[in-house]
Amino acid sequence: MAIFEGTRLGEAQAIMARYPEGRQRSAVMPLLYLAQSVEGHVTREALQEVAVLIGVRTAEVEAVASFYTMLRLRPTGTHLIAVCTNLSCSLRGARAVYDAAHEATGIAPGAETSDDGEFTVHEEECLGVCELAPVVQVNVANHDVVTPERVHEIVERLRAGEVPEPARGPAVESFKAASRMLAGFEEAGSPAVTQAGSQAGSQAEGANA
Amino acid sequence: MRGSELASVSPPQQVVTLTVDGKEITVPAGTLIIRAAEQVGVEIPRFCDHPLLEPVGACRQCYVEVEGQRKLLTSCTTTATEGMIVRTQNTSDAVHAAQVANLEFLLLNHPLDCPICDRGGECPLQDQALAFGPGESRYREAKRVFPKPLPLSPLVNLDRERCVLCARCTRFCDQISGDRFIELFARGAAEQVSIAPGEDFRSPFSGNTVQICPVGALTSTPYRFVARPFDLTTVDTVCPHCSAGCNIKLDMRRGEVVRQLARDNYDVNDAWLCDKGRYAFRFPDAAERIATPLIRDHGLEPASFGEVLTRVAEWTDGKRVAILTGGRLMDEDLFALSKLARTVFRTNDLDHRRGGDTGSTAAEHHAAANPMAVTYKDVERADAILVVGLDAEQEVPILHLRLRKAARRGARIWVLHPRRTRLHDVATHVLCAPGGEGRLLAGGAGGADATLDEALAALREAGQNAVVLAGERPGAADAALATAQAVGARFQYVTRRANDRGALIAGVHPSLLPGGRSMHEADEVEHVWGPLMNREPGRDAMGILQACADREIDVLLLIGVDPLRDMPDAGLVGRALDNVAVKVVQSLELGSLERYADAFLPATAFLEKDGHVSTWEGRGQRLRAIRGRDGISLADWEIFASMALACGGDLGFETLEELHEEMGRLVGPREESLTTAGVGAPSPSAEAAESEPQSPGAPDGEGLVLFTYPLLVDEGRLSEGASELKAALADEAFVEVHPADAERLGLTDGGRAVVRTDAGEAELPVRVTEHVAAGAVFVPFNQSGLAANTLLSGEMLARASLSAAGDPATGDLEPDRKPATVAAGGGA
Amino acid sequence: MSETRRVLTAHWDDPGVIALAGYEDAGGYRALRAALGKTADELIQLVKDSGLRGRGGAGFPTGMKWSFVPRDTGKPTYVAVNFDESEPGTCNNRELVEREPHALLEGTAIAAKAIDCHLAYIYVRGEYLWQARVLQRAIAEAYAAGYLGSNIMGGDYDLDIVLHRGAGAYICGEETALLSSLEGFRGQPRLRPPFPAVEGLYESPTVINNVETLMNVPHIVNNGPDWFKEVGTEKAPGTKMFTISGKVERPGNYELAMGTPLRVLLEEHAGGVLDGKAIKAWTPGGSSTPFLTADHLDVGLDFESVMEAGSLLGTGAIMVLDETDCMVEAARRLVEFYAHESCGKCTPCREGTWWATRVLGRIEAGYGRDEDLPVMAEMGENILFRAFCALADGAVSPIQSTLKHFMGEYEAHIREGRCPVTGRGPGLDAEPVQEAVTFTPTGPFQIQGATP
Repeated sequence: MAIFEGTRLGEAQAIMARYPEGRQRSAVMPLLYLAQSVEGHVTREALQEVAVLIGVRTAEVEAVASFYTMLRLRPTGTHLIAVCTNLSCSLRGARAVYDAAHEATGIAPGAETSDDGEFTVHEEECLGVCELAPVVQVNVANHDVVTPERVHEIVERLRAGEVPEPARGPAVESFKAASRMLAGFEEAGSPAVTQAGSQAGSQAEGANA
Repeated sequence: MRGSELASVSPPQQVVTLTVDGKEITVPAGTLIIRAAEQVGVEIPRFCDHPLLEPVGACRQCYVEVEGQRKLLTSCTTTATEGMIVRTQNTSDAVHAAQVANLEFLLLNHPLDCPICDRGGECPLQDQALAFGPGESRYREAKRVFPKPLPLSPLVNLDRERCVLCARCTRFCDQISGDRFIELFARGAAEQVSIAPGEDFRSPFSGNTVQICPVGALTSTPYRFVARPFDLTTVDTVCPHCSAGCNIKLDMRRGEVVRQLARDNYDVNDAWLCDKGRYAFRFPDAAERIATPLIRDHGLEPASFGEVLTRVAEWTDGKRVAILTGGRLMDEDLFALSKLARTVFRTNDLDHRRGGDTGSTAAEHHAAANPMAVTYKDVERADAILVVGLDAEQEVPILHLRLRKAARRGARIWVLHPRRTRLHDVATHVLCAPGGEGRLLAGGAGGADATLDEALAALREAGQNAVVLAGERPGAADAALATAQAVGARFQYVTRRANDRGALIAGVHPSLLPGGRSMHEADEVEHVWGPLMNREPGRDAMGILQACADREIDVLLLIGVDPLRDMPDAGLVGRALDNVAVKVVQSLELGSLERYADAFLPATAFLEKDGHVSTWEGRGQRLRAIRGRDGISLADWEIFASMALACGGDLGFETLEELHEEMGRLVGPREESLTTAGVGAPSPSAEAAESEPQSPGAPDGEGLVLFTYPLLVDEGRLSEGASELKAALADEAFVEVHPADAERLGLTDGGRAVVRTDAGEAELPVRVTEHVAAGAVFVPFNQSGLAANTLLSGEMLARASLSAAGDPATGDLEPDRKPATVAAGGGA
Repeated sequence: MSETRRVLTAHWDDPGVIALAGYEDAGGYRALRAALGKTADELIQLVKDSGLRGRGGAGFPTGMKWSFVPRDTGKPTYVAVNFDESEPGTCNNRELVEREPHALLEGTAIAAKAIDCHLAYIYVRGEYLWQARVLQRAIAEAYAAGYLGSNIMGGDYDLDIVLHRGAGAYICGEETALLSSLEGFRGQPRLRPPFPAVEGLYESPTVINNVETLMNVPHIVNNGPDWFKEVGTEKAPGTKMFTISGKVERPGNYELAMGTPLRVLLEEHAGGVLDGKAIKAWTPGGSSTPFLTADHLDVGLDFESVMEAGSLLGTGAIMVLDETDCMVEAARRLVEFYAHESCGKCTPCREGTWWATRVLGRIEAGYGRDEDLPVMAEMGENILFRAFCALADGAVSPIQSTLKHFMGEYEAHIREGRCPVTGRGPGLDAEPVQEAVTFTPTGPFQIQGATP
């Protein structure tokens, strides 16, 4: 086994232990996330190895993997830039943000990943931060009220090797790192949860007080 | 009969009464509306619904209106309730409109390629579109485009553009076969049936998905672009390949078979057929077919039946005659053969069995005397099932599906076999030493196996709903019968080949007379047949061959059998054929017997015959001739009748009706067979019980025992011409070894090994697997690359040694890696 | 309408409640302690008496849902928390959890106690990566403090809570699809019956509750059912989280009494329409609820009143469009969402949303035809209530409500070949565009051909 061996096999077993005995199929999504955190996307080998781990056929794993958009079956950039273009965001200018993301990353029209493999830009359905539209996620970490200029800035900083601070929580350095968190693993030095939540347009601001 | 028995022990069924389009109908509670409607003759259109698959409600074509419900309901997912008033498309405009609208959705992305689609002319989607679809599409946008077709295997192709995503195929693989090679991938408008990259749809049931596909999305390679439904003549018959007895529809174009499909029979094959039954249909038209009698003069020359039979009469007059046959003949043929042997040739040297499968006398006796002791339905309804010495998927595939169906209903299943079977996901396997089933069941092998104890306890508890099935692994069936009797379970000896069961019933067997009678009961037979000169049990198949080799037989009749291929001692067969003076072959062709045959009698092929074939249950099923006889061939029983006359005897029947009348007197349902068919019946034959079954036993030290049986798709005669089937499912010969043995012997998975037995040796690719018993070595009987009977000495077991190929030093230089050799016990 | 008050958002001004200490200081886990002293039946009765209805959209009475769970089947029971908040325009669950995660754990634990459950899963949508991390940390704190795990608070009750992250599928918010997903399958809805309460997760009795619903539970336990009913309407007591987004000055999550009119939310809380423009249309409960218009500003935001006005309260997610927004574009974008999120299982949803998206896109782009509008209207009728689950009905809402309220705008698009509001579009002389659409979640197919 190439992906799930050594420490990572232990992690896979820890994931499977989240579910009752005999129900290890439930672990398919986190296991795929874990594989994605290694390879940057869900590879054919990952599908096969996960199938073996949970005792199903490879087709059953791919059936699941291909159903969910955050499990990516195609090579994906180091950084995944997801731009919400659903109604609340597009009312606030998301289309221009999306176009700017393409422009800044230099991704060819119709493509989703830059030739250098650094960026994937993905048009996203509602990301659930409608009050702070338009919303962009960089490696599944949120950036609120994003303008086209801000997208250019984010991309420039990523190119420079920095990961801009998101609106909530610490920056996530890569799509692989995000996938590892999605598998339920925190890196050493967990985020400071005392960090405040969202900062704009809510009752916390006393709008409702 | 069985049904009423069950009804008497089941709680009274709740029923509900509803009306469908004004027609009142009472159905069992839980019946779906779509099924209830069928019962009053109302056909509600559907695509995803299939009576043997769980409801899914995906296609949304089967809307009905139910009074009191705001929305239309899908009749394939809604159960009937008391007083329900249902209106279908026949009486509700709203329902009709909804169905038309849904059809429009289904057709949006459907390609207009009906003219080149194999399904055209028999396509539910096409039929419904014609019946009430709009003539013109309002869809002006571009359609979905997929590359097509996507080959799922050498047998099955997928055209995703035509697919309506009803999920019948994927549900079949999930719920029926358990071979989940294909799945629905992606979602929304991109949802599609697909297969994991690099994999083949390697299921021996794959063709069922083609048949239940309601559109032309799944097509089969052998039928691709071959014919149109209106070109075909369709006839009903029964599959000739194994004892499952699947009911089939056979499509012929200009007399040539071009397709076989499953025909619904819920008592037998439900609606399924294995891929061998579906795709191995070219053998009746094989090029080697000979349809003229032949006689050896200088070479084999064409002759008339009369000439050949006259010569047979001369050859056999006052001579020692023996008869071997196989599993291909019909009940009528077998009965006539049994009578021919006993009354004309005065011999009991008569056998239909593959030599080496002997030694299950009691089980054979039980099978011959107890038709329908266990049926498909019994298996389906059982609570606890023990399967002994049978690889159901490979040997009787539709029985395998029934076992899976039982498991799905909650039955607990145990399999006692030297090698894991494809029931592994629904059954508990106990891997025993080859030939060791009996010792394990008897609890004699150093303390009974705990898992087996659990199985036996479950069987006892299940009472009426306990079933023991035994297959042909040496020694398994008698031990299983004894176990079944001990725990009070229903028992069935499952013979593999198409009419092995019929041969047992007819007494084509050295110690069984028709109807499962032993030689002690010969009086009953003489009452019908007249005096039998010989009441001593005859020689079995291997005994006959040995006697031929020892020149103790003068004339050998080979009826639809190729001993060179079928008998587990190729060397002995060769000596037998060399030494017996006269060989008469009656078959479809000569094959490798050409150089031995002194005469050839052409028999009609399965499509050309009229008569019965018995399933493994003992259920006789009628087949009718569906095309004219080839050349001047005759039905086997007709040849036997003529041969009897030529030899101065008289079988006493000239028509099938006369033959049936006589069969009715000897092998028809007998009172005692029915009474002994029940639970915990005592052994029907005291004699059989007396004759201690020869137990090949298990090796009692370290060492290797080779065992073998035929896999489903092999080099067998009836698979000739089935190239796509073989490409999809046939394995090259291999040898399977347990990891512990492999390690000891220095063998690696994927490497090659030399297998040596007393009879011969072969070099084969190695499969190291923990799913074969330690100490056991499995080779398939008849795959390309090895005729396993070259390794056998009259048993389906042999002591064997293995060494890595290309390792000449084995044994001599490294003593501790010397291949182990241990007797199979009782065998050689 | 009664007075409102802040219950779920009472501590939003206190960033400390994100951590256990702050939550305890604010009175946290008192309700769980009290609940542990009550029987399952008492807890169910308490919630029944409160009249709490599910906040996920359907408004089913929560106590009744719990009471359907058989506790004597010999199988385990499960609580599955639906934190798959994905309905466009909806984001109150996200903020509730990221500010006060322990409140969800406490509500979950009480629900679990009420059905004798010892293992609960929180299904959190994958995109809520940070919120899942917050929850994960809170779970760790709760275990360490003895609020979760074995012998909770020294008693004999055990409960494990496990996070399960989704991976980008709106349909998993549908409860049976959520269960499919949690069991490791494609997130496709399942037939009911059997209902999840009887045969849910792992074929065992299961309660599935929304985040906001569960967060109300500790307050009901602490303060009693009568207190809970002091605000809201008779049929829908309590407060409700409303998300207001789009063209307003202060978009955000606001906790108001059930039944608060939109005008109050918009003008008193959200600061009115952005840049002083006029409101044109709004959704009362997310993308799946039919648009209402400026004529409906005084509709009370509760289940019954919104329904009377021709829409649904849904998730209480108000998306506001102003006079400069194109309704065809809005409808197209929302229907596109449903086409993207359709699970593919059933025909009307899979094919209908696909068709509607493409027709709407063509009209929006200026290539509409006269026959498109009756076809669209009929298409809506043919999808509505015909699909396997409610997802497709959601797609019909923007189609039917825009056709109903903004027919003129559609007609103008077709008549003029461009949008009458934004002016976008090629006009009448334009040549039809060649189609080259790629719509490929896994890259399997291409669109070919041209739109005439």
